[in-house]
Amino acid sequence: MSSWQAVLRKDMRVEFRTRYGVSAVVMFLLVTVAVILYSTPGEQLQPSILSAFLWIALFFGAMTGLSRSFVSEEERGTALMLRLYANGESVFIGKLVYNLLLMILLAISAVLFFEFFFTRDFHIRDWPAFAVQLILGAIGIAAVSTILSALISRASQKGALLPILALPVLMPLVIATTDATRIALEVSTAFQNTQGDLLILFSFDVAMVLVSYVLFDVIWRD
Amino acid sequence: MRIFRSNIFLFALGIVLAVQVYLSFEIPVAGSFSDAAMLSMNGVQDVTPVKATLLSQDSLGAKFQDLYGDSGRVVETPGSYGSYKHDRIGDVLVLSVKYERSTNAFDLEEIIRVNPTITFPMIQGLGELGRNMLFHVPMSMVAFLAFLMGTIYSILFLVKKDFDYDRRARAASAGGFLFTALATVTGSIWARFSWGTFWSWDPRETSIFILLLIYAAYFMLRSMLEESEDKKARMAAVYNIIAFVTVPFLMFILPRITQSLHPGGGGTEAPILNLSGQTHTDRTLLNMYWFSVFLFFLVFLWMKDLYTRVLRLQERQAEAL
Repeated sequence: MSSWQAVLRKDMRVEFRTRYGVSAVVMFLLVTVAVILYSTPGEQLQPSILSAFLWIALFFGAMTGLSRSFVSEEERGTALMLRLYANGESVFIGKLVYNLLLMILLAISAVLFFEFFFTRDFHIRDWPAFAVQLILGAIGIAAVSTILSALISRASQKGALLPILALPVLMPLVIATTDATRIALEVSTAFQNTQGDLLILFSFDVAMVLVSYVLFDVIWRD
Repeated sequence: MRIFRSNIFLFALGIVLAVQVYLSFEIPVAGSFSDAAMLSMNGVQDVTPVKATLLSQDSLGAKFQDLYGDSGRVVETPGSYGSYKHDRIGDVLVLSVKYERSTNAFDLEEIIRVNPTITFPMIQGLGELGRNMLFHVPMSMVAFLAFLMGTIYSILFLVKKDFDYDRRARAASAGGFLFTALATVTGSIWARFSWGTFWSWDPRETSIFILLLIYAAYFMLRSMLEESEDKKARMAAVYNIIAFVTVPFLMFILPRITQSLHPGGGGTEAPILNLSGQTHTDRTLLNMYWFSVFLFFLVFLWMKDLYTRVLRLQERQAEAL
């Protein structure tokens, strides 16, 4: 077993014991959906509005769930131990894969909630295109929040700082995914119409994963 | 750099910049006769400046050759011409003309300039507002170059571990932030007179707003970290590099693929930088544009150097205390 897998397994085991990340994320989604339902009773929600709601929920859900990855190590005082046992590379890959899994779980549950609560308006007309942009969006959010949560893990205002740092950096991605989601909700031939968005998402993901992979060691070593 | 500290450089830069700003407002804007006809028919403006060569002149009026529009098109200006006596056949004149729809001819209102060295080409739909092309667009270009420099300094800091690169990265990014803010303000004023509102969340307006947020977060980050100076500088450098990854997306890609009020949006040809590597923008205007970019970049370099020195002194003071 390579060491990044060990880091991933450790994180998943901690998550199974506390269920902090998953329950925080699900609670957040439920509250968001409840607020939307409460404020728009009986209204016809356009695809553009629904895709904006979906990505607002996904972004802030990710900020509550994914920010924990390094902050919890600092709080439990296990960060030094992790530094001793694993090199930066495997810590980064392990945490990234863990965050990605959490993000995909978040995305799937968000889509299920939207399907369930907005039955009348939320119709995905092109499933493959919808899934592709959702996964590409999840990769980007996971990469950015992994590196930035490592960056802020020892700052004074952790909870406030991550969204402030991450939101503007993720904005190109969120703009592209919102557009792609809207198109996948509107037409059944979304792949032809979202090529530009998917290309942006793909290049953003590649650039972010590579840059944060290279830079992680700078943050991690003391 | 030492050159930015010499008074001669500063003096020269100040003079050239003043001349450039003066010329940007002083050079007459001139279009073609077809511009004048189109603007009048669309009800935008009645009197339009036009650049033309004088072909002949008699008691009925004068004949001009259109310099910008269809080559060789001859236009008559009945009546009022003749108040200007010193012209020769072949002179290039900037005239303001009024289009008469019924006779499909032009009335001469005024002779603005004789044999101008350069004229500012009329940009369809902009007219006099097109002069902002020499301020707003170069400022955003310089902002991009500044962010690029800041990122290069951050990388150099991480590689060489020399704190002077950290100060330069800070100074360059601060300069980039300043020029982004200036581009936002000039653009907003331009939008007020061109599109009717100061701000309309056009794709480019959204992306420049996000850019301001990103770099505001960069300056906040340093004060919110509780680390040693060395680690703070490393974290800031990392965030600076990550922030720059988004800059090409925000400045060059996203505004180009979406429908936009700005030129170049939604697959239309961008007037200055585009993939085909060529542009249909007027040669004179392009030269003036790049000269403006160069000058504002020099101003940026001078400011960056100044701020780096301020940071150096502040750190020396903090060490002494």
